[in-house]
Amino acid sequence: MSTRILTKADLAGLVADLLSAGTRVVAPARVDNPQVAAYRPIASFDEARLDGPLPPRSPKEFFLPPTEVLLRWQKKKDGIELQEVATEHPKQVILGARPCDVAAVEILDKVMGWDYRDELWFGRREATTIVSLACRGVDKSCFCTAVGSGPDAQKGADILLVPSDGDAYLAQILTPKGQALVEAHAQRFGEASGAEAAKSFREAATRKVASNLPIEATKLSGWLADNYEHELWKRLAMRCHGCGACAAVCPTCHCFDIVDEPEGIDRGVRRRNWDTCQAGKFTVHASGHNPRGTQNERFRQRVLHKFSIYPKRFGELLCTGCGRCARACPAGMDLPEILGQIAKLAGAGVPTGGTK
Amino acid sequence: MKELRQIAAKLLTDGAVKVVIGWEEGPRGARAAFVTRPEDAERLIFDARCVQNLATYLSPRRRHVVGLGKAAVVAKPCDAKAIAGLIRESQVKREDVVILGVRCGGVVREPTMPASLTAETVADRCGICETREPTLYDHLIGEPQPEPPRVTRREEQIAALMQKTPQERFAFWSQQLERCIRCHACREVCPMCFCEQCVADKTRPVWIESSSHPRANFAWQMTRVMHQAGRCVDCGECERACPVGIPLNLLTRYTAQSVEKRFGHKPSDDPSIAAPIGTFRSDDSQEFIR
Repeated sequence: MSTRILTKADLAGLVADLLSAGTRVVAPARVDNPQVAAYRPIASFDEARLDGPLPPRSPKEFFLPPTEVLLRWQKKKDGIELQEVATEHPKQVILGARPCDVAAVEILDKVMGWDYRDELWFGRREATTIVSLACRGVDKSCFCTAVGSGPDAQKGADILLVPSDGDAYLAQILTPKGQALVEAHAQRFGEASGAEAAKSFREAATRKVASNLPIEATKLSGWLADNYEHELWKRLAMRCHGCGACAAVCPTCHCFDIVDEPEGIDRGVRRRNWDTCQAGKFTVHASGHNPRGTQNERFRQRVLHKFSIYPKRFGELLCTGCGRCARACPAGMDLPEILGQIAKLAGAGVPTGGTK
Repeated sequence: MKELRQIAAKLLTDGAVKVVIGWEEGPRGARAAFVTRPEDAERLIFDARCVQNLATYLSPRRRHVVGLGKAAVVAKPCDAKAIAGLIRESQVKREDVVILGVRCGGVVREPTMPASLTAETVADRCGICETREPTLYDHLIGEPQPEPPRVTRREEQIAALMQKTPQERFAFWSQQLERCIRCHACREVCPMCFCEQCVADKTRPVWIESSSHPRANFAWQMTRVMHQAGRCVDCGECERACPVGIPLNLLTRYTAQSVEKRFGHKPSDDPSIAAPIGTFRSDDSQEFIR
């Protein structure tokens, strides 16, 4: 599709246009701590921090909230009445999201539409237009290039913005949804220019990230499938607390639990809540047996699901290399380091021997 | 550091322990190390980035660590308080752990920060800590340490919160706890949260809902903090682990202040001093319980 130019002033105008039309705009924005940004709905472009720090949490909660109501029930004389929840969702634009966060949404479409179509997920997907922003690379924990992606990846985005000359972004229009947004706000988008500056931005960012972990994680699935009992797993997660902070901040972790909660003597709600395979109770059977009895087994599951099981079923890694798990871990578990170790064992790519 | 490595290597060589739990250099700063071979003792480090409380790994619910066999653990004074807590509450037998006490001049807020301690970088808890060395140890390691920079920002924040009306405080905590996603990371990292079956995981009946809505989030944090009253060693791990940045230490610290005021009790690294929450005394100052 085509390319346009969008100045910062026009982007501010675009946000104002969207907000006045009643569209929710979610962007990395200031929070009470100035060192931190978070994806949240903004009331004006001034609140956004497009070039600020990486938000510690991914924007997955705007598609899969930490808790949401699936249905309501009420006891009646002649049985139980079920009330469905709406699967139509208000329009939203996710603006300035990192390519790693945006790629995750498209990866998750596969599992959400697999044997059962998750109407809540796709309801939000359809109501959302994603305008991503190419990333300059955050720190040593970034490894998007190792998972076949990159700091300027297009996957999942309707429009990709790349910083260009001065205060402008080169806007790559990637989908009909992106095209529709541009057409509806045509006065905000100019004729494309500054392609050279955008190109050098992309190249510099890719170089920066690629040096962190020069492996091809897409080639690990065979080794992982064949080495379920490898010594590596027996010592891998000694320091892991099983706290699941990694899953909470991960853009691709999507496991949930379903619970019924009473809201009175004769009525209640069914909710789904984020859950994680790192929690000990995640796999406890009704008998009391737990097939993943220790943290080493639970961490192996995390690695296998992302780099072997999901790719085998859906043809894609369940990881976008954002590095949030490593940054969030209070115990120093480090997925890029572990992938480097596995690559060394599997002989895929050239491992750096960690990310020190 | 040399002394620490030598003692660790000797303990492993002599077969006195099967694993030494200390700190090492990781990709993102100092982190826990599990050294099982004498030659790997060279990996051990200790400096102001050794933030994490390693006593957590002694808890019996860490089956993968317990499975390694008898452990030696490197302990700052605050970590020693947690080890004492585990001994006091019958989770660990004193003779089953070798404690490598280290003299401590405070730690920085995050293990990714440089090891230099300033008023800006020092962890809040170290800013008021008066303990430079543990009293519970088998070996005491390192040179005497200077006092960390004195900072009272957390105490001031608590005082300011207590100046507010209950409604204002409720509004503050409502806003903070709105972010809670009920991952329970605060519980998992806590050395004193050792229950095999947490009340928050009970499903028949459900005592605390697992959903992250305000009702359940308040119920969870209130329960957690009350269970820590007089037991919390102020290691700060719950707040550091929280992936959504809730200032949990304000709750635990205020509770500790209350216990100190009402019962004259401060958590110590003497396992023989019982915590008020697990004590009955016929001369209790609280009339209702006598």
